[in-house]
Amino acid sequence: MVESVIQKIKTDKLIVLFSLFSILALSLFLQNEFSLKQALFFLIGIGFGLTLMYAMFGFTGGWRTYIRSRHSVGVRAQILLLAFSSLLFFPIIGKAFPELSAHAALGQIGVSVIVGAFLFGIGMQLGGGCGSGTLYTVGQGQTDMLITISFFIIGSLLGSYHLPWWLSMPNIGKVSLISELGWLPALLLQLAVLALLYQFVSSREKKRHNAVQDFSAKIKHEKFLDQLIYGPWPIWWGVIGLTLFGLATLLLAGYPWSITFAYGLWGAKIWSALGGDVANWAYWSDGYTAKALNQSVLADVTSIMDFGIIFGAMLAAALAGKYAPEGKVIPKRVLTAIIGGLLLGYGSRLAFGCNIGAMLGGIASGSLHGWLWLVAAFSGGIVGVKIRVWMKFDKPYGKAS
Amino acid sequence: MKKTNRLIVGTAFSLAAIAVAIDHTQHRLPEPVAATQEQAVSDDSDESPCGLSSESPCSMDDESSSPCSMDSGSDDESESSPCGL
Repeated sequence: MVESVIQKIKTDKLIVLFSLFSILALSLFLQNEFSLKQALFFLIGIGFGLTLMYAMFGFTGGWRTYIRSRHSVGVRAQILLLAFSSLLFFPIIGKAFPELSAHAALGQIGVSVIVGAFLFGIGMQLGGGCGSGTLYTVGQGQTDMLITISFFIIGSLLGSYHLPWWLSMPNIGKVSLISELGWLPALLLQLAVLALLYQFVSSREKKRHNAVQDFSAKIKHEKFLDQLIYGPWPIWWGVIGLTLFGLATLLLAGYPWSITFAYGLWGAKIWSALGGDVANWAYWSDGYTAKALNQSVLADVTSIMDFGIIFGAMLAAALAGKYAPEGKVIPKRVLTAIIGGLLLGYGSRLAFGCNIGAMLGGIASGSLHGWLWLVAAFSGGIVGVKIRVWMKFDKPYGKAS
Repeated sequence: MKKTNRLIVGTAFSLAAIAVAIDHTQHRLPEPVAATQEQAVSDDSDESPCGLSSESPCSMDDESSSPCSMDSGSDDESESSPCGL
């Protein structure tokens, strides 16, 4: 059981004011320069950032804890997130409500996803974050994550250069469970699989520890409002928040939440500014990507939402007194941040996204490639955890980490 | 150490903000030019739901079926979303 304590919060007022001002200014700017919809995308991103930071909702840490110790709180929360999101997304994408229109996050099933997600899984453990984790820890002011995100961007750019070759590798194309089975049978099948998975990880934890950890917060305030504003949130609040903001994204954008497309775009724009001929690369030469490259970064929905996550996490961290945590970045950590970042970026391009765009978005919208992504990335995660032990970041299994 | 970290993060955020500002300034859409009467007569706006030239935001959507919408009308989601890219 998690021990609950009451702790005095030292809010970072300067950063709170700065982040509130930035959020307000950028929202008004986006509404004035583009549209109200663009400002809403930014505010949804803020919501994601607040939720991720307050609930400390980490995919990387959740996987690592399960792999090392079989404690499954994080993994079970992710399974619940997938289940709730599927419950809301399947009917909408399956046209159960004709007035609502949304696309699934479909990706072809093949070598590129397997290799990309496997590399991404290793990168998560070495880089210290996933697609969402990197953004909110940067918002929190963790200096080592600035290195990870910089090389995430470089890796994404490299991935976009090589993607046409990877796409020519064997694949069976895109498979939508909703199109194949109908939205209701597909949803029931998916929920059954997720329930089995939930049961499996719970039983493994119980077998190892004779108990299953609950979802309560480690620090509890006396008042609900204090818990809401200063955090930390119980992880199930995070599940609810991410589900609702994910639904808002689907309804407003017409497709599920994604993160890493923006990293490749930022890399391409920087490389172009340095004189690189990105526009002639196959990936950036046509369709949505070419359009994104040739317009302001503030017109790109994914970028705007990513900026929102950073500012949202900054606000939450400052309110909770956790902004810019102390910690020296040692050379070994710099090395893993570089390698991890490159693997995250390269892998996400090959696998049509990260844990959000490919796994959450893919699975919750009925794309089979999301499940393949999960298996391949988790396998990569196991390798990544072993590398961390080998590099002496973590103690060997069975000893306290 | 905490002060150093804040300085590093602040510098990185400032550089990012400058980069975004430069990018946005470079890609700003041209200010609409008031059409003269002569131009208005020869304008073929009746043929297009947008009534704008090829440099307008409407024409940025390539060959998708609706030139005025980024999302609707296209069966190929690669044209309208970053999913699967």
